[in-house]
Amino acid sequence: MLKGFTRKFKPLEILTEEQLEEIHRGTLEILENTGIVFHHEKALKLFNKNGCKVDFEKRRVYFPPGLVEESLHKCPSSFHMKARDPKNDLRIGGNTFYFTSACGMKTIDLDTWEPRVATKQENYDGVTILDALDNCHFLTVYCPYFGFEGVPSVMAIPESIAAKIRNSTKVQAEGYSQDCEIFNIKMAKAVGIEIMGAFFASPPLTYYEEAVEAAFRYVKARFPIYISSGCVYGATGPATIAGSTMTTSAEITAGIVLTQLIKTGTRVVANNYTFPQNMKTGSPAFGQIGLSLHNVAFNQIWREYEVPVWNANYCPSSSKKIDFQCGYETAIGALIAALSGSSLVGLHGEIYGELSYHPIQSILDEDIAGMIGRFVEGVEVNDETLAVDLIGEVGPIPGFYLNKEHTRKWWKKEQFVPKAADRLTYPEWMEKGKKSCLDYAKERMDEILSTHKPIPLAEDQDKEIERILKEARKYYKEKGMM
Amino acid sequence: MSDEVLKNLKKAVIEYNAEEAASWARKAVEEKIDPIKALDVMTEAIRYIGDGFGKGELWLPDLVGAADAMQSAMPIIEEEIKRKGAKRESLGIIVIGTVYGDIHSIGKTMVATLLTAGGFTVHDLGVNTKAEEFIEAIKKYKAGILALSALMTMTAPEQKKIIAALEKEGLRDQVKVMVGGGSITQEFADSIGADGYNPTAPGAVKLARSLVGK
Repeated sequence: MLKGFTRKFKPLEILTEEQLEEIHRGTLEILENTGIVFHHEKALKLFNKNGCKVDFEKRRVYFPPGLVEESLHKCPSSFHMKARDPKNDLRIGGNTFYFTSACGMKTIDLDTWEPRVATKQENYDGVTILDALDNCHFLTVYCPYFGFEGVPSVMAIPESIAAKIRNSTKVQAEGYSQDCEIFNIKMAKAVGIEIMGAFFASPPLTYYEEAVEAAFRYVKARFPIYISSGCVYGATGPATIAGSTMTTSAEITAGIVLTQLIKTGTRVVANNYTFPQNMKTGSPAFGQIGLSLHNVAFNQIWREYEVPVWNANYCPSSSKKIDFQCGYETAIGALIAALSGSSLVGLHGEIYGELSYHPIQSILDEDIAGMIGRFVEGVEVNDETLAVDLIGEVGPIPGFYLNKEHTRKWWKKEQFVPKAADRLTYPEWMEKGKKSCLDYAKERMDEILSTHKPIPLAEDQDKEIERILKEARKYYKEKGMM
Repeated sequence: MSDEVLKNLKKAVIEYNAEEAASWARKAVEEKIDPIKALDVMTEAIRYIGDGFGKGELWLPDLVGAADAMQSAMPIIEEEIKRKGAKRESLGIIVIGTVYGDIHSIGKTMVATLLTAGGFTVHDLGVNTKAEEFIEAIKKYKAGILALSALMTMTAPEQKKIIAALEKEGLRDQVKVMVGGGSITQEFADSIGADGYNPTAPGAVKLARSLVGK
């Protein structure tokens, strides 16, 4: 099982106990009196059978607080997830956290910085690189790209999961669309892994049929589920951080109630995919520090509920280039997500939100992950690290620590050594071609692609994946969708 | 009195007040004010907001607020225009909507508002709009342009379906189709036989003008 990073100190909190209570009461109020729309007949009947008031005509469900709180208690506070290689299994929850990859609709051209559709090779290479990065523990949905050249849109998700299964042995999540979860589940079962299924609300306060049907399928396959609201505050949620944190929680909680009614004890993750609205362009406002405030409040609430959290929205950048803005926005957002106790922190590869991705960015993010991981592990204080005896032995000048065994043993544990950052002196830097972190990341990408060989699937498993893809293509052709 | 009513109608749109806008529109009808003039002052108001947005002085909530106010008054004025058989000068009639399966409205609303500000008559069908609803609206409003929005990769193919439906209905030659949305590219627009694509809302107005030769 992967160790991830374990926070050794109290999480960052911004809400007082009174504020927490107010948000919780507001969430219950929304669920009980405003209600949530579920465009799914079977779900409506299930809610009704279990004590919810249901307006079948308006498809609106009103949740009694007792059922809500009972459902939250039924969710495991931490759980195991099975990867293709057992050494990559995860235990999600508690004070340990893992970094997940991010994803992007397109790749970018590093000369022009313009986005373009990735090729199949680039998609598979992107997965290979994530497989090689030690601090990327989990591959997210549609990752690295939302489809690639030559793939009809209905096949984007099945082709994406096939690439991840083939080129990585790490745990992964996958989405749903047009019934593709049927094939996702078959592929996962064919290779004996679990995938974390997506279940997305459509804010405000609505779940569409496709999402609910996918939730039924993933839960019945006994896979864990991550439930996401995806509210854009100022547009599909209140413009205030408190208000949108509450509606996001209400939406996710309604999804949790459903999963626990389908099967008690279903493993769930509360996923924050909320963004502020960019009031000029109409896009989500990536890179907004307000989002980090939202995440800290969200993480604090869900820690209280004892449900693991995924800050998939950690704070991707709004920059179109891999540059200073991209670096600071990404790093600040990811650091705050980790400090405030997110169990999964989305990070690797994204550039302009989920609109673009590049493996070089994933290599740079690997260093951000390493820095944050080192930070949260805190300061070890014991006889050996205090080194009172050694200090006595070395004494004042000309005493010296560089030649001591204690230094050789401890410095690498205490310092994080980045793989792509420039740490040279000026003379060395000039002599070695004045390289930047971007140059080092490019070199590392070439090195990984020439040396890292993901553990291949057994031949019969690979054939089975191909057969399932063929079955999916046939299914969509018969439906006239490709 | 008529000037007062028109001034207040314009003010209501500029102040994002949907209730007041509808109320002054009703008043305009009661006072037998030329509905074309009422429409013109609302368009002026939207243009004022659109200009402010373009200059970076106003923001999306202002644009959407003004659009909502105008939308609330619009059916009242349109009904009167229809009743009087009046004709309004406009650069062209546009039917706009987000395609079926897609509930993203912001980009579409921005484009619709700026097209209105730019002098077009715009009929916004909203989100999650089926091909047959677009066809029906094109016939009803005698539209010259159909503007389609799709944000998601999964819903972009719906635009192709709508173009096929136009062909089937024999409407393709009468309507110019412009497409947009997060998942759309020029290549995609070309591949489905759209007449135009632009990735930005102000660009969509320029595109619409070029499609009607203005």
